[in-house]
Amino acid sequence: MFKWLSGKKADETPKAHSLELEELKEQLKTELNVGSDLVFRTMKRDGDKLIFCLMNTLIDSTRLDDIVIKSILNNKDMEWTCESIAKVLPMISITAVNQLSEVVTGINEGKVYIYAEGQPYGILADVKKTLERGLEKAETESLVYGPKIAFTESLQANMNILRNNIKDEDLCAEDLTVGKRSKTKAKLVYIKGIADEETIQTFRQRVQDLNLDYVPGTTVLGQYIESDSWSVFPQLMTTELPDRVSIALYRGKVAVLLDRSPDCLYGPTSFFAFFESTEDVYMRWNMGLFLRMLRLVATFFSVLLTPAYVAVLTYHYEVIPSPLLLSLGESRARVPFPPVMEALLLEFVIELLREAGARLPTKVGQTMGIVGGIVIGQAAVEAGFNSNILIIIIALSALGSFTTPSYLMGTAIRIIRFPIIVMAGLWGGIGIMLCFCYFIIHLLKLETVGGPYLTPVYPVRLKDLGYSFFKLPPQYLSFRPLTNRTKDQERFSKRKAKQKKDVDE
Amino acid sequence: MKVNLHPKEGLLINAFMLVFIIHSVQVGVGLAGLPRVVYLHAKHDAWISVFLAGTITSVVLIFMVQMLKQYDSADLYGIHVDVFGKWAGHSLNFMYMFYMTSTFFIILMNYVEIVQVWIFPTLPTWQLTLVLVLLVIYAVYGGIRVVVGVAFFSVVGTIWLAAVLFVPLQFGDFTHLFPIMNSNAKQLLMGAHSTTLSMLGFEIILFVYPFVKEKQKAMFFVQIGNMITTIMFTCATLISIVFFASNSLEKTIWPVLSMFKIVRLPNLERFEFIAVSFWMLIILPNMCFYLWAASKGFSRILRKKQKWGVWIIAIVAFGGSFFIKSRYQMDTATDLVAKLGFYFAFCYPVLLSIIVFIKKWYKRRESKHAETS
Repeated sequence: MFKWLSGKKADETPKAHSLELEELKEQLKTELNVGSDLVFRTMKRDGDKLIFCLMNTLIDSTRLDDIVIKSILNNKDMEWTCESIAKVLPMISITAVNQLSEVVTGINEGKVYIYAEGQPYGILADVKKTLERGLEKAETESLVYGPKIAFTESLQANMNILRNNIKDEDLCAEDLTVGKRSKTKAKLVYIKGIADEETIQTFRQRVQDLNLDYVPGTTVLGQYIESDSWSVFPQLMTTELPDRVSIALYRGKVAVLLDRSPDCLYGPTSFFAFFESTEDVYMRWNMGLFLRMLRLVATFFSVLLTPAYVAVLTYHYEVIPSPLLLSLGESRARVPFPPVMEALLLEFVIELLREAGARLPTKVGQTMGIVGGIVIGQAAVEAGFNSNILIIIIALSALGSFTTPSYLMGTAIRIIRFPIIVMAGLWGGIGIMLCFCYFIIHLLKLETVGGPYLTPVYPVRLKDLGYSFFKLPPQYLSFRPLTNRTKDQERFSKRKAKQKKDVDE
Repeated sequence: MKVNLHPKEGLLINAFMLVFIIHSVQVGVGLAGLPRVVYLHAKHDAWISVFLAGTITSVVLIFMVQMLKQYDSADLYGIHVDVFGKWAGHSLNFMYMFYMTSTFFIILMNYVEIVQVWIFPTLPTWQLTLVLVLLVIYAVYGGIRVVVGVAFFSVVGTIWLAAVLFVPLQFGDFTHLFPIMNSNAKQLLMGAHSTTLSMLGFEIILFVYPFVKEKQKAMFFVQIGNMITTIMFTCATLISIVFFASNSLEKTIWPVLSMFKIVRLPNLERFEFIAVSFWMLIILPNMCFYLWAASKGFSRILRKKQKWGVWIIAIVAFGGSFFIKSRYQMDTATDLVAKLGFYFAFCYPVLLSIIVFIKKWYKRRESKHAETS
């Protein structure tokens, strides 16, 4: 009665489609405006008429011919009614419908609508064919160790891989739909009893509340559901490695898989999680620790080296000891620009090389990398555009930024370098420190699905440092990370892990 | 206005964080010149004065925390209203807010002065002041959680500077220290009094207390924080006395920064450039906490949004920076704030806590009286 008060449009009144075949055809044609893609096939027998309505671009025609049509033709004495047809179809997913809207949706999803004239109901049978590429090696997160398999664009195949990784009855996969118009299927995946109820609820709520027409992929979905969309730092992890997702799920994280997207989105992920590679897990702990520290140090230098060069050469040359200053001055003697310009120019060239290399096919990309790197670097120095030492520094910082396992975080690291360089050119060390303070405050303000972004460093969770900052020998990681507030906190018994079978036994 | 403040569960901080809060707010611009100002009064026994001042601070902290424990979850603003009523309480609150604003201002101006003297003599004051104030506003906008985070990263990110201070020790002459206890009690106390500006900051516990999760542990961690500060200040003074000759220490305005000059790495010299830059991270939590506490008072008293308070106080401080033009004015202003701090942070809280104790004791006796009769 007060429907108009709620502000919503009244739902469409249910409308059964016409019982006349010709009229049904017309109705479908007007609803689905797809031209010759919409195909009808009519069968006649003793005055009875049976019609198949389908979209020939969506269906698997061999399945339609061999299973659906053959089994109907083979049963010659069968009456053409809804029930009897349903009985002879050797398929799992068939539904009886008579609403026009349901029929249209069904046909649009790649089902065939079978209808005998005059019957109250027709049958939707699933003969869908989805085109997908085969399983391939991970491209963006390449590994030396560990499983190489990567997600593909098919949600079903992705769930299959994940379920084969985790044969746990508690692995839950809730259905979600993303996109009001595109109706992309999504799965909310978590392990019941490990993942925190609140985190699951946050994820579910945020995905459900999205009021969008279409979401092209999980990285985009991530941008829509993360807390601060102004920030340059990614707050949710996307990965194409199923084993990475499995490890994360057992640490109490929640994942979202989206149909037609080869990445999986999971969270909560803290800042330091973006510097973890699955290889750290597969390697022996001390090697993993070394590599992780190497990555963090590399990132730190990648952000700081070029600004430090600019600051020191512009304002604080007293900081450099005289022998070093001599060689620095010598290499910069022919450069006509101030250090900021010099550094920005070269950083720009490096970014160009990277971007061009990423856009080109692999083979050309390699050649271009070599040509660009050597020719431009060498020529720039000879022409007096840059100093040799700056080339070393910029190459180092570019390398450092590429060590980050997450491509999104690597890009963020490269981008934040530019404002720091400009500030260093403006106010030297004070400028660098201002940026540094700004980024600390900014990172403190960020959060990932309700959790703080800088855990386990702040708020301090000393135990969790073994998971994300350092890496400890496996027997000390008997607990799940505290920050994820997991319900089941123990991974294995700590006492048993300490038992040693030695002579006394 | 309510006396007690009950923040949301998610805003509460661990009592352990009080170590970082107290320590980071105490260490600030004062430390850079601390050894000299104490030395002027207590001569080579300056380190005893500093240690004495630390002990006195610790006693004052006992009074403060005991006073806070009399209430459920109150800050100083609430206590003022509870003890003195609405009008007198609010006037005191405004005075405290004024004190914190001026401390904020003095920290800011002192740092800008250090930068101008050591690195950029020609840098206009307003530029750096503006950027720093905006930075602090950005932090305070994040609320208590971010401000405490800044304190934490300030301590973690700059503690290595304290280790670097031990490098000058190898050039030191320990005979400078002897004879110990040569100064008389008056000189020592005068020296202790002159540490006020450096020791200030612990009074922030009066405002942070409602946000502490485990309130019964607050006393322990506050004392630890103050202890670390005391040890650090005493060491800094000790090293300065050992490193500098008597009359040169009297003439060096920022002895702690000057000592960084001696540090020499294979690829780095003149370490004080880095130290002065890093000093920004040291003073950042001081400014954040004073701005946060003052603006909190604004929202508590006037029942306006805290954001308004932040902007008003920041603009006042920024506007004030135009009035200070010479070293002489700077000195006067700093001395004034140190004097204010001595009364507001050391004397007054002790007095207030005694009043609160008496009031609570009286009430308890009265209620007992009512029960028995």
